[in-house]
Amino acid sequence: MNNPSFDYKAAWATITQAFPILQSPPSLPESDFETVPFEAVNTIKLLNLAEQIQGLVITRMEERLRKDIVPQFWSHFKKTDHDSATFREFHDAVKFLYYNYMKLDLIMNKLIVLREASNVAKPVYNHACLHEALKLIVKAVLLSQLPVDQQWLILSFYEKALKRQDCEEESYGNEQCCGCLQEQYVCQCVEMFQETNKKLGKMALLEPLVGQSLTDLIYNYIQAHIQKICKDSFDTSHLESLEKWLQSVIISWLKKIYYYDCANRSERFINEFDQKLISYLYNAYTKIRIDQLFNIIIEYPDSLPALEDLRLCLPKTDLKPHLTKTLQKAMETRLLHPGVSTSDVLTAYVATIRSLRILDPCGLLLETITQPIHRYLRSREDTIRCVVSSLTEEGPNDLAEELVRGEAVQVDENTPVDDGVEDWETWTPDPVDGVTSKTSGLPRTSDIISMLVNVYGSKELFVNEYRTLLADRLLSQYSCDTEKEIRYLELLKLRFGDSQLHYCEVMLKDIADSKRINQHIKQDLNYSEDDIPMSAMIVSAQFWPPFKDEKLELHKRLAKQMEKYTSAFETLKGSRTLCWKTHLGIVDLEIELADRSLSLSVSPVHATILMHFQDHKSWSLDALSKVMHVPSTILRRKLSFWQSHGVITEREPDVFHLQEEQENKENNLQDDIVVEDYESESAMASAQDQREEELQTFWSYILGMLMNLDTLPLERIHQMLKMFAFQGPTIECNIQELKVFLDRKVREHQLIYSNGLYRLPK
Amino acid sequence: MKLTIKNWTGVATWRWVANDDNCGICRMPFDGCCPDCKLPGDDCPLVWGQCSHCFHMHCIVKWLQSQPVNQQCPMCRQGWKFNNK
Ligand SMILES: [Zn+2]
Ligand SMILES: [Zn+2]
Ligand SMILES: [Zn+2]
Repeated sequence: MNNPSFDYKAAWATITQAFPILQSPPSLPESDFETVPFEAVNTIKLLNLAEQIQGLVITRMEERLRKDIVPQFWSHFKKTDHDSATFREFHDAVKFLYYNYMKLDLIMNKLIVLREASNVAKPVYNHACLHEALKLIVKAVLLSQLPVDQQWLILSFYEKALKRQDCEEESYGNEQCCGCLQEQYVCQCVEMFQETNKKLGKMALLEPLVGQSLTDLIYNYIQAHIQKICKDSFDTSHLESLEKWLQSVIISWLKKIYYYDCANRSERFINEFDQKLISYLYNAYTKIRIDQLFNIIIEYPDSLPALEDLRLCLPKTDLKPHLTKTLQKAMETRLLHPGVSTSDVLTAYVATIRSLRILDPCGLLLETITQPIHRYLRSREDTIRCVVSSLTEEGPNDLAEELVRGEAVQVDENTPVDDGVEDWETWTPDPVDGVTSKTSGLPRTSDIISMLVNVYGSKELFVNEYRTLLADRLLSQYSCDTEKEIRYLELLKLRFGDSQLHYCEVMLKDIADSKRINQHIKQDLNYSEDDIPMSAMIVSAQFWPPFKDEKLELHKRLAKQMEKYTSAFETLKGSRTLCWKTHLGIVDLEIELADRSLSLSVSPVHATILMHFQDHKSWSLDALSKVMHVPSTILRRKLSFWQSHGVITEREPDVFHLQEEQENKENNLQDDIVVEDYESESAMASAQDQREEELQTFWSYILGMLMNLDTLPLERIHQMLKMFAFQGPTIECNIQELKVFLDRKVREHQLIYSNGLYRLPK
Repeated sequence: MKLTIKNWTGVATWRWVANDDNCGICRMPFDGCCPDCKLPGDDCPLVWGQCSHCFHMHCIVKWLQSQPVNQQCPMCRQGWKFNNK
């Protein structure tokens, strides 16, 4: 190379013409040679400078990228407020980058020719292929200048595209594009989307540049989608449709993007991602359902589809411990506190058992969840009463259904349990994810009534409570449906055994016998009734729960009638006589006053008071107390019943008067008209007042329900009231009446009604 | 005021008119029933002897069957005769 005549200047000119990027300033002309001119190759070969030139060119390319192209590319990513432009913005950024990339790639082509001609084989950045080396360089420079907040533009671009895909799935024939909000025929979203992905793919930038954003976007999108479709709806199964949605929207959209991935690993990559997404979908769905589980349980059986979904999800996820913890917490904060009535706790308890039976047939979860409920129910005084009364109550209810299911009550006697020895081959250990419990040696009965009895560990307590309630019911409604009670008793006997319930059988027989005896006595020619039609409930004292001992001296007229009845009985049943419980029974009265009339069913004490007021228009508390043998404090309370009906007033302390005419003139006027036309109507009017009071007692129940369940439709409120609140013999209300009542509460701003649901004002 | 009692349903317990509360044989209350019975009253009646002692009918019949020779009242040891009053 020591040829002094060699024109180095001319040679450099030839080289820089072939590689304009080597000029100063470096140039990246719009149109470049497709390949290296022969002359330049020769010159370089001659000077043996191929490697040096290659190095110089690549350095210049890097410099160009670093100083010019990449900063310009990233300048597109500055945050703007024009959300609508973001789609095009990213598209343009990629277009710009690609355009420059192609120009650089062309230079690489020339370098390759040069390398071949000069036998240079040394790899560049570990790549034998210079095209690959360029990709690496571009990626490296891009990432080295990565702005902090670049993700938003990418997210925005892909989110719009994904939305478009999603609504295409939902409804074809959409006039508007959901991405750019333009009319379909001018929208270029699809083309721009494809073009961008294609270019990113060619530059091998899909994964490095947008991969993470895509993952974030898709996860968020799935989460939002699930949240949207699962919100407050438990009556449809979503698993299948979710999986379908994932395939048809998310996965197929991803395939559209990665179709252009030049690395050619799209298939495997998508498959892997597919698995990840499915498991993410299951996880997200399961978590949402677990968060909703308390409400799902409360709405059992309407929520069965949601429960089924959850059952299928649990083995595919790792969320059982999370479920246990979440549900326990929900139970504590929403159920097991003094604001919830015992009967509501019981309903929730039954629903819990039924729901968990579906979720976890092995029963361990059930045991873990119900233990705190058991402890809690034990601490409440009215639990047995609530269980028994809902067992025997009118109409469909959960516990009564359970009773019909049969099965004798198994009381845990702490006996070691035969864990089903025949089944030893199929025995599996309890899953360790349930909370370990000391009682796991006991049989896991899932029979609800047995479980409830086990809360107390004694059938006797239950049966006694039932007997007391039955006695109350029989005595307060003589005409009650004994047939039904007998049917019920038969069911209870299947559960609790004959001996426990034998007393109740006798009680029911007493009522049936009494009806027969009454008929006999009425037909007895020696028996007469002057003006008081009499009947009696004749009970076998040994078999009934003890009666409250209250004294009451009946009015002479009645006492005489009772004597007649007693002797008729003695004649009918030789050697037997009657002991009257004067304070018990029911008296049907018709009261006609100067300006109104009432017809009522009252207790003997109330009737006796009025009989005395019929004799004397006024009584001092003391005198009446002496005549009736009722302590004055109790008597005062009884008198207040008639005061509230406006029949009796206390004009001066301790002196009571019969009130023939009501004081309030306005009311009088109306009542007069009614009384003249229909005597019984005015009784109805007063019955309506009573009604209002009764409905008011439901209000606290309704408040409780809405506090716990947020919103409820009319039917559900009625159903729940039926279950818990309608317990007295007369307290019932039909759905129409309830609606009128609730609507009044809405007018008084104590309730809010919207979309067919009632809720409390905030 | 005109007060009409349309119906008065009273509550009463029934009992046997006997000198004693319990049966001298089974020691159970008369108003209940003998150990073999489930239902009181008509289904498990009382009977009186001429000695004026009374028992569950089922109890005295069982007693008499167990005494093939001298049929005596278990209370006063007088010969047992039913008093069909
Ligand atoms: Zn006896
Ligand atoms: Zn008997
Ligand atoms: Zn005797």
